[in-house]
Amino acid sequence: MMREVAWRLFAGEYNDAKLEVSGGGERAPSFVVTPLGAKVNRVYVVGVITDVENVGTEMQPMWRARVADPTGTFHLYAGQYQPEAAAALSKLKPPVFGAIVGKSRTYTPDSGTVYTSIRPEAIKSVDGAIRDYWILEACRSLKARIEAMAEAQKMDPLTKEGLVQVGVKEALADGIVQAVNHYGKADLSRYTAMLAEALRYLLPENREQRAPEEAAAEEAAARPEEPPREPEGDKEETVLGVIEGLDKDGKGAPWDGILDAAKAKGVAREELEEAINGLLDKGLVYEPVLGRMKKI
Amino acid sequence: MKEELAPHVSDITRALGGKVSEQEIEKELASYLNVYRVSLDTAKRSIVKKHGGNPAGLAVGINRTLRELVPGEQSVNLLVRLVSVNEKDVTPEGQGTKRILYGILSDPTATVPFTAWEPLNLPLARGDVVRVQNAYTKEYRGQVQVNFGTRTAVMREKPDALPEYKPAPGTGLPYLGKPTPVRIVDLREGASNVAVTARILSTDSREVEVDGAKKTVFSGVLADETGKTQFSAWKDFGLKEGEVVRIEGAYVKAWRGIPQLSFDDRATVTRLPGDAAPAAETLGGSPRMWVEDLAERGGGVDVTVRGILIDLREGSGLVYRCPECRRVLRKGACRIHGEVKGEPDLRVKGVLDDGSGALTAVFNRELTEILLEKTMDACIAEAKEAMSTDVVRDELSDILVAQPIEARGNVTSDDYGLMMIVDQAKLLRVDVQSEARQMLEELEGGAP
Repeated sequence: MMREVAWRLFAGEYNDAKLEVSGGGERAPSFVVTPLGAKVNRVYVVGVITDVENVGTEMQPMWRARVADPTGTFHLYAGQYQPEAAAALSKLKPPVFGAIVGKSRTYTPDSGTVYTSIRPEAIKSVDGAIRDYWILEACRSLKARIEAMAEAQKMDPLTKEGLVQVGVKEALADGIVQAVNHYGKADLSRYTAMLAEALRYLLPENREQRAPEEAAAEEAAARPEEPPREPEGDKEETVLGVIEGLDKDGKGAPWDGILDAAKAKGVAREELEEAINGLLDKGLVYEPVLGRMKKI
Repeated sequence: MKEELAPHVSDITRALGGKVSEQEIEKELASYLNVYRVSLDTAKRSIVKKHGGNPAGLAVGINRTLRELVPGEQSVNLLVRLVSVNEKDVTPEGQGTKRILYGILSDPTATVPFTAWEPLNLPLARGDVVRVQNAYTKEYRGQVQVNFGTRTAVMREKPDALPEYKPAPGTGLPYLGKPTPVRIVDLREGASNVAVTARILSTDSREVEVDGAKKTVFSGVLADETGKTQFSAWKDFGLKEGEVVRIEGAYVKAWRGIPQLSFDDRATVTRLPGDAAPAAETLGGSPRMWVEDLAERGGGVDVTVRGILIDLREGSGLVYRCPECRRVLRKGACRIHGEVKGEPDLRVKGVLDDGSGALTAVFNRELTEILLEKTMDACIAEAKEAMSTDVVRDELSDILVAQPIEARGNVTSDDYGLMMIVDQAKLLRVDVQSEARQMLEELEGGAP
């Protein structure tokens, strides 16, 4: 049995995935298929772990962590069946650069939306150089998929064999055919922009544009004793109000709703994520299920 | 013609349980053979199937000479001499161990390997002449092979029933058609009759025993611009280090998954001018390969992989080995030799993942000491102090996990995946900014 490869891919692409397929057969691995055709069973991610929280109980802890990359946020869940990862998570003091190997997971609440997450197998805190190298690898990988998908969009009819003939590796060709069947035509401009954004992120002239938790993580990597800096308060208050207002049925406010409502109140997505992280840190809100926020 | 076919007509009729008249079968058989020109074997099977019968019920095979055999025949009758017979115990998947016979058959036209998968109705010995009914054929490494199965019957004949097979010099079962040119990177297990143009990088010879007879194998490493491979020549072609040769009519075997070029007296070797292949210094380098491609090939000789060491496997760090068999001890005991005084060793078994696939990379003591910047003795002292070898493993994990690494070595494969025995390794230092800048410029069409 070959070990499943660990995909390098950005949160922006991973979180766009809505399709989960099984390899077929007994004990076959399952895969999350992204709109660009990455067929992901295992991922390797290096990013900023922005918060870690026990969303389970003291007896049965379930550690949840967010990991930010230049394009979005990965969600990690580690419980009793991932003892090593859970132990590592519980000891981390965010923000910190973390390297994570884990299995792809999806979660579908009643609304039918699909949320992707990662069940970590191993977590290690690393430095900024390792993170930058990961971004570069993820860029190379994303570029290869954009190019392969561009070939696929020229093809009629689209077949796995046809893609292999123009030099696309079999594993990716397989994923691309499944992706096109499920998602239809992928918006390549979105992913090209994502690629450019991630590349710019690596260049020194853009360094000041990095998110604040980023700088904090860099500081933390250099001086681990330093306490994390406090996020801003007023945005958090606004967001807390939004979450409370949207929680009509007591099950928590849905993420999409929070996003829209916050936008209407002048809170951009990045600011929103930051504010929610702050609220999570302070123990003012929690995530009863993936994709929902509830005031405590 | 009609008389020759009569036993087959009655065979078909019997296989169909008398549902169809012999006259009709005879007419159909004639039509298959003369109008459609299919082989007798195919014709018989097709007719039985057509009338809803089971072709396995056919009992009368077709007399053939060995040279005529092609792979995939379901029922052949042979009159052959046993050139060699050997016994072997095999354990087919999901079944118990059983004893099979294998060896070489000959008749005046050719020699062919055979395997008897089921116990036979009489013992076979070297030199016996036998009549074989209902054997079947398969292809194995580009050659026809005869198999004896449950339906096969063997009868002894007088030794003079068959003239001795006198092999002409240099003849196995000859290949059909022209050899296919193949680049070394494209060699795959089971390929036969290939042609390779390459430079010999090294040569060696060793004695082996084949069917009780001593033979010399001429081996070594050869390379073209796509990669290196080991080779084994079963005849002395006088190959010398540094020569460029074209080898036609070779076949590919695998050793622990790595495809290797083999050739014997069926092959021709042509010397080419020295500039027909890149210089030895160029070829001596180790080609960089993706794990995905190594997995597809089944391994590689002296290849380089760049990836991230994403995890350390069980048994990394300071281990103790059995002084008898070198196995790693578990809880102070060897699996075979029980409790022994173990000899210390230091190693890393890591998962090296390059984004296209993953392999297990094994770093020996010397490389591990370099990566750790610490001697094994220092590790032993640390472990004594901590009263556990875990400290060494943790230290290795701190240093190596999540690091980009370039590793060079031989990659083998088995049921558990790929494994590289690392020869050389270094932590990769990549200029992330300049590569990012270059990619961004390409993306934006050269604009800054």
